[in-house]
Amino acid sequence: MITARGLVHAYGERRAVDGTDFHLLPGERVALAGPNGAGKSTLLRMLATLLRPRSGDLEVLGHPQPDQARAARAGIGYLAHDPLVYLDLTARQNLELYGDLYGVPDRDARIDSLLDDVGLLARAEDTVRTFSRGMAQRLALARMLLHRPRLLLLDEPHASLDARGGDLLDRQLVAAQGDGRAAVIVTHEVERVARVADRLVVLRAGRVVLDEPITGMDPPEVRRRYEDVIA
Amino acid sequence: MRRRQLMALVRKDLRLELRTRETIVAMALFAIVVLAILQFGFGTRDDDLTRFVGGLMWVTLAFTAVLGVGRSYVAEREQRVLDGLLVSPVPRTVMMSAKAIAIFLYMTLVEVLVIPLVGIFFVKGPYWESIGWIAIAALLANLCIALSGTLFSGLALFTRARDLILPVLFLPALVPVVIAAAGATHAVAGGPHDMSEWRGYCLFLLAYAILFALVSVATYDAVFDD
Repeated sequence: MITARGLVHAYGERRAVDGTDFHLLPGERVALAGPNGAGKSTLLRMLATLLRPRSGDLEVLGHPQPDQARAARAGIGYLAHDPLVYLDLTARQNLELYGDLYGVPDRDARIDSLLDDVGLLARAEDTVRTFSRGMAQRLALARMLLHRPRLLLLDEPHASLDARGGDLLDRQLVAAQGDGRAAVIVTHEVERVARVADRLVVLRAGRVVLDEPITGMDPPEVRRRYEDVIA
Repeated sequence: MRRRQLMALVRKDLRLELRTRETIVAMALFAIVVLAILQFGFGTRDDDLTRFVGGLMWVTLAFTAVLGVGRSYVAEREQRVLDGLLVSPVPRTVMMSAKAIAIFLYMTLVEVLVIPLVGIFFVKGPYWESIGWIAIAALLANLCIALSGTLFSGLALFTRARDLILPVLFLPALVPVVIAAAGATHAVAGGPHDMSEWRGYCLFLLAYAILFALVSVATYDAVFDD
């Protein structure tokens, strides 16, 4: 799904990602953790093809980057801090827009089904400006899943999702393993994400300082492991 | 697929504009105010300013275009949606084309107001029979404005001083468009038509639009992906 070798990205002179290696297999769900400024979001944006690596090799869904970015994008679902939806369009209009951008074949039926899943079917014709933060983020979840992506890239998803959205996301992540979809979940909530992740990768100062399986480990144990590494 | 993406992006821009009416209304009000100031500046209604009508019209429309183009990515920027578009598999040229179509439509709507007003404010002689020729030149000029404006607004989008950068980049690029569109307007407004002069200016506008279309296609990926 993802193969990255020696990735570097810098903001001015400061290297946010500094020679990072990373890989992701089909069905795998990786929790990407680290202290503030460790380079987690920068790495995720590179994996999402939103940032070009300054150096290093990156392949996403079998497509070398940045040369075949568009081919990779068709299979990526990206959930950011912001919902990435227009506040002055309705929930349905936003999903129609993204459905057309991704060429979703059964657009209208898929939109109805997802709006129902995220509990927004009754508010489908309301503009997003009238939504609470949690509702907007649930709409973002529907936007991310609309085109049935094979690779989910999530930037601190539980931080802004309400309980219903968080549970739905967790169910999606559990189901992902069965159907071969993979996920990278940037998080500060290691203990929560440990329940649905197979592997923990910890970044510090732009470098990977821990990369180990956590399947079967108790979430508090995963948290202790993480805290030991960043201490 | 590209057609579906293009139509979706254009429909989105028009829906946003219909709901907020922020760009069109601002452009129209701005153009009317500039025309009124120019009329007061040039004297009374008794003076026939047919000789200057091309310049008066196109200086007004050039500044109006800067205002409209400057607002072309406001929704994406202020509502932080740009990453959603950039992470989707939409070719950057399709994104550019959608914005260019929206700017083209906004300029055309403003001109529906401005071209008759220019006749009322500044022309004493025959003008209304020339409206069709002026409109053709205006559509070609709009094409130039839309294509160059989209490119420069894309470039300015990722700069900190974008409100300053855009006019600094865009206005010089508009100078040839203003010269040609004003020349084409002057050639047919207010007297015997000089169709060969009008045709020459229109061909120049068409060539300029083609040039910017080629430059945009060649550079737009780099604008958004680098």
